[in-house]
Amino acid sequence: MGQFLQFAINGLMSGAIYALIAIGIVSVFKATKVVNFAHGYLIMFGAYFYFTFSVVVPGQPWAPEWLASWQPDWLVTAKEGLPMFSPMGAVLDWVSNLPRIVLGIIGALIANAIVGRIIERTLMRPLMGQSVFAMIMVTVGLISIMSGSAQLIWTADAANVPYIAPNMPIRFELFGTMIFIFGTDLVNMLIALILFGGIVAFVRFTKGGIAIRATAEDQSTAYSMGISVPKVFSRAWVLASTTGAIAGAILATRNGISPSLGLFGFSVLAIVLMGGLDSYVGVFIAAMAVGVMEAMTQWQLGGDWAEIVPYVAVLIVLIWRPHGLMGQKEVERI
Amino acid sequence: MKLNRRSFLASSAAATAVMGTPMILRAQPTEYVVASSLPLTGPFATAGQLVSPAMKMFEALVNEDGGIGGVPIRTTIEDSGYVPATALANYQRALATEPNLVMYYGDSTGFMKLVAPELKGENATLMGSTSFASDLANPAENPYQYLPGPSYEDQVDILLQNIKDAGGSTVAFIFSNTEFGRDPIEHGKKKAEELGIKVVLEEATKAQGADIPTHVTKLAQSGAEHCILQGYVTGVWPQLIGGARQFGLPTQFHGTFWGMEKLIADRVTAEAGPFLEGYSGVMPYRYSYDQEEAPIYQRYAAFQKKAFAGTPLENYMPTWGLQSLISLNLGIEALRRVANKGLEITADRAAEELAGINDYDSGGFFGGPVSMVDNKIGTGRVYTYKAESGLFEPSSDWFTV
Amino acid sequence: MINANLKSTYAADERVLNNRYKQFFVYGMALLLAVFGAFANDYLILIACKMGLLLIAVVGINVLTGYTGLVSLGHAAFVAIGAYAVTIFNNLATGIIPAGIMPFFSIPFAVFLAAAIGVLVGLPSLRVKGLYLAVATLAANFIVIFLIEQDLFAPWTGGMTGLTTNAPNFFGWVLDSKREMFGMIAVIGFVSLLAAQNLIRTRVGRAFIAIRDRDYSAEILGISLLKYKLTSFAISAAYCGLSGALFAYFYARILPEQFELDLSLELVAALIVGGMGRTLGPVFGVIVIVMVPEVIKITFGAITGDAAGMAQLRAPLQEIAFGVLLVFFLLKEPLGINQIVDRMLRAANRWPFARG
Repeated sequence: MGQFLQFAINGLMSGAIYALIAIGIVSVFKATKVVNFAHGYLIMFGAYFYFTFSVVVPGQPWAPEWLASWQPDWLVTAKEGLPMFSPMGAVLDWVSNLPRIVLGIIGALIANAIVGRIIERTLMRPLMGQSVFAMIMVTVGLISIMSGSAQLIWTADAANVPYIAPNMPIRFELFGTMIFIFGTDLVNMLIALILFGGIVAFVRFTKGGIAIRATAEDQSTAYSMGISVPKVFSRAWVLASTTGAIAGAILATRNGISPSLGLFGFSVLAIVLMGGLDSYVGVFIAAMAVGVMEAMTQWQLGGDWAEIVPYVAVLIVLIWRPHGLMGQKEVERI
Repeated sequence: MKLNRRSFLASSAAATAVMGTPMILRAQPTEYVVASSLPLTGPFATAGQLVSPAMKMFEALVNEDGGIGGVPIRTTIEDSGYVPATALANYQRALATEPNLVMYYGDSTGFMKLVAPELKGENATLMGSTSFASDLANPAENPYQYLPGPSYEDQVDILLQNIKDAGGSTVAFIFSNTEFGRDPIEHGKKKAEELGIKVVLEEATKAQGADIPTHVTKLAQSGAEHCILQGYVTGVWPQLIGGARQFGLPTQFHGTFWGMEKLIADRVTAEAGPFLEGYSGVMPYRYSYDQEEAPIYQRYAAFQKKAFAGTPLENYMPTWGLQSLISLNLGIEALRRVANKGLEITADRAAEELAGINDYDSGGFFGGPVSMVDNKIGTGRVYTYKAESGLFEPSSDWFTV
Repeated sequence: MINANLKSTYAADERVLNNRYKQFFVYGMALLLAVFGAFANDYLILIACKMGLLLIAVVGINVLTGYTGLVSLGHAAFVAIGAYAVTIFNNLATGIIPAGIMPFFSIPFAVFLAAAIGVLVGLPSLRVKGLYLAVATLAANFIVIFLIEQDLFAPWTGGMTGLTTNAPNFFGWVLDSKREMFGMIAVIGFVSLLAAQNLIRTRVGRAFIAIRDRDYSAEILGISLLKYKLTSFAISAAYCGLSGALFAYFYARILPEQFELDLSLELVAALIVGGMGRTLGPVFGVIVIVMVPEVIKITFGAITGDAAGMAQLRAPLQEIAFGVLLVFFLLKEPLGINQIVDRMLRAANRWPFARG
C-alpha cells in the first residue's frame, strides 16, 4: 500500500507537468485550429534557454560574480558546519542560486515568447484555412527545423541546471514503507497546477480569453464582431511558448537537458487527444491519469514499458470515443 | 585495394628499376585511409567532439613515424549522431568512395553489431570501435572487429568481484535502454548469482532525459547496498547518483569505462557539490595525468599543448580519446606488420596480424605489455573518484581477466 | 502536347500506358535503369538502392494518403513488419523450403502479414480521421517497435540487438553484392510503380479517389467505406512490407530503431515533396529526400575542407534542410515537384505560343 502511494504520488507529479505541457497544445488548437506536433520542441527550446540564462550567461567572464553564486555574509555563516545534503543546506544552496534561477526563468520566458511569435508569423499565418493534413505536416517540418537549429546553437549536450525550488528530500513513513519525495518536484507540481488553473481562468473569464474562445467557435464571425483574429493567434502562440518555457525549465532540472526532451511532445499529444482537443478539463484528467498509469507501469513492469503507456491509452480511448474523453464532436457538412 | 592503371604503371616502373631485388610487384597507394564515424551530434555528442581532435593527433603522429610502411595515412571523420544506421551508411559510403580504406573506426555497440555481418569478402575492413561490447570479441566469427580492452561483461565481473570482496550482499543494475546499456546485464546477473550476491533491482532507463525521481525512488525502495551503472556517457548517471545522495541513500555506485570520465565528474562536482566522492569503476588504461611511466602520454601531452591550446584538450586527454588512440594504435600496429612483411594490405592479413599481437608495449596505456586474446585485451584496474583532488585514483592493482 | 487520346478499340481504352509518350517514357526509363545498373560506380549504386527501397514504401503511402486521403504517420511499422517477417520466415523455414526458392515464399509471406496488420491498424480509420488518425497511426508505430524490442519476442526478433538477415537466393543465384541487389530492387520497384499506376484506373482505385474527395459523398454513392478504407490500408501496408522485405535482404542486419518515427515522417515528407496522388510523385520525392542530404554533405565537405570542428554542424544542417523542404512545399507548392515538372513540360510544349 505504501509502495502504491509512493508511485501514485510520483505519477501525479509527472501528470501535472504533462498538463502544463498540454496547455500549450490545447491553447493553440483552440485559437488557430492547428495541432502543434512540434510543441515538444518548443519545450526543448525553453529548456535550452533556461540553461543558457542560468548557466552559460552567469559563467561568462563579464557577468557579475553574485549572479553565478550569491554569497552574502549571512548565507556563508549559515552554511558553515552544515553536513552535505542536509535539508537546510539544500535551501541555502537554492538561495545562493536564486539570482541565476530568476534570470534563467525570465530569459527563457522572453526568448521562448520571441520564438513562438516568429513561428506564428512565418509558418502558421500562411496556413489559415489550409487542410488539416497540411497543418500537421508543417508542424512536422517544424520539428526538424527546430531540432536541427537547437543542435547548431547548443552543440554538445548541456550540463546540470539549478533546481527551480530548494531540492530538499522529504521522507516520511506511510503504511510501513518509506515514502521519498523530492522537494523540488512538489514545488514543480504546484507551479504547474497554479499555471494550469490560471490559464483556464484566463480563458474563461477575461476579455482576451473570450476572444480566444470566440475565434475557436467561428473565425469569420469573430472577425466580423471586431475581434482581431491575428492578434488572437499570436496571443495563443505566446501563451503556448511561455508555458512551454516553464515546462522546459522544470524538465531540464528533472531529466537533464538533451534533444530528447522534444519527444515529450508526442506523448503529450497523445494525452491531449485522449482528453479531447478543446477541453481543458478533459486534458487535465487525461494528463493525471496517464501520469499515474505511467508510474504504476514503471513500478510493476519497468522503465521501457512506461514509454508506451500514453500511446496504448490513446488508441483505446480513440476507438471507444473518437473525439477524446471530453472533446466536442465535430459536425461535418457534406 | 584496386589496381588502377596509374598505380600499375608506377609500380611496374619501380619494379623495373629495382630489377633483381626480391621486391614483390605490388601497387603502392599514395596514402592509406583510416575512416571513422563519431557521434558529433546526438546524445553522446560531448564524447564524439572530444574524440575527433584525438583522431587528428593520431594521424599526425602516425605520419611522423612514417605512416604505414612509408605510406602516409589520412583520417576522415563522419558524424553518426549515435544512430547505428547512419554509421553503417557512413561505412558503406567510405567503402564505395575510398579505394585505399584500410581501417574503420566505429562509434557504438549498435553499429558494430549492425555492420558485423556485412564484413565479408571485399566489404571487410579492420574495425576498431568505441564499444566494449562482449559480442565483438569473437575472432572465430568475426576476426575484423576487436576491443582495445576488456569487454563490458569482464568489467562487470570485476565490479561484482570487488563488491563481493568488500562484503556486499545486494546489488542493483541500472542501465540505459540501448544495446550499449543492456550488453553485460544478463551475464552480470548470472555472475552475481554465482558469487552469492542478490540482484535486488534491474532498471532500464532512457539513455538521455531519464525520469530521475522515479528511478531513484525504485533504487531507494530496493535497498541495494551497491549499484552498477551501465550504458551512460555524459548524462543520467551523475543525476542518478545526485538524486540518491539527496535522499541520503548509502548505496555505493560503480561504473564501467564510459561512466568514468573525469571531465564529467569535475563538471558535476563544480555544479552540484562533491557528491561523486567514492564513486568507483573499471578503467583499462592509465588516466592521462598519470604520465610518469607512460612515455606515449608524454608525447601526446607535448602535442596537445601545441595543437589544442585553449581547448579542454590542452592539458588533459579524456579517457574516451585514450580509448580511441589505443584502439587505432593497435590497428596501425597490425597494418604495419603486414606492410613490413612486404605484403599488400588486406583485411584478412591485418586481422591475422592483429590476433597475433603478443606482449605488445603500448607505451604506457596499460600497466604492462599486453596481448590480444580473443580479439580483446583483458586488463584494467579499479579507480575511485576523489572529489577533493578531482582525480580518479587507483584503488586496485592491474589485473588480467 | 497530347490533348486527348484517340481510342478506337476497347483494348486501347484498357491499356495502362495509353499513349505513345507514356510508352516511350516507361521503356526509356527501364533501359536507363539497366544501363545505370551496369555502369554506375559503387557509390551511385548504393544511393540508388536506398532510393529504391524508400520508393516502394512511398508508393504505398501514396495509395493511402495521396489517393484515399487518409493520413498515416506510422507506416514505418509496416516496413519493420516486412523486414522482420521475411527474416523470421527465412530462419524458421530453413531446411523445410530449399534455399533457392525461399524468397518466393518469404517475400509474399512478409507482404501478406504486413497487409493483415495494416487492416488491423486501419480499423480506427473507420471511426476517426484527419488528425486523430495521424496520432492513432503514430501510436501504432511506437507500439509495434516496442513489441519487437520486447524480451518476450526476442527469440524470434532478437529484441533490441536486432536480427542478422540472409542474402536472397534465387535458384542458387545468391545476390551478395550491392550491384546485384540493385538489380532486384530496380525490377521490383519498377513493377510496383506500374502496379500502382494500374491500381488507380480500376474500380478500387476510383473508389479510393472518391473517398479522398469526400468520404460521406462516396458512401452515399454506394462505396463501402469499411471495405475500401481497409483495402487502402492493406495495399499501402503491403507495399511497405515489400519495401521492408527488400530492406532486410539489402542490409546484413536489421535493428528495431531503424523503423521508428523518423522513417514514417520521411516517407510522408517524400510524398509531399514529390506530389501526392500522382504516380511519379514518389519518384521525384524520393530522389529529393535522398539526394539533398548527400548534396549538402558533399558541398559542405568541399567548403569546410573536412575540418574536424565543422563536421558536427552538418547533420543539423541536413535536418533543417529536410524541414525547410517540407514546409516550403506545403506552403508554396502543395502539389509537389510533379506539378512543377508538369508545368515545365506544358510550357515547353506550347512554346512559343503560351507560357505556364
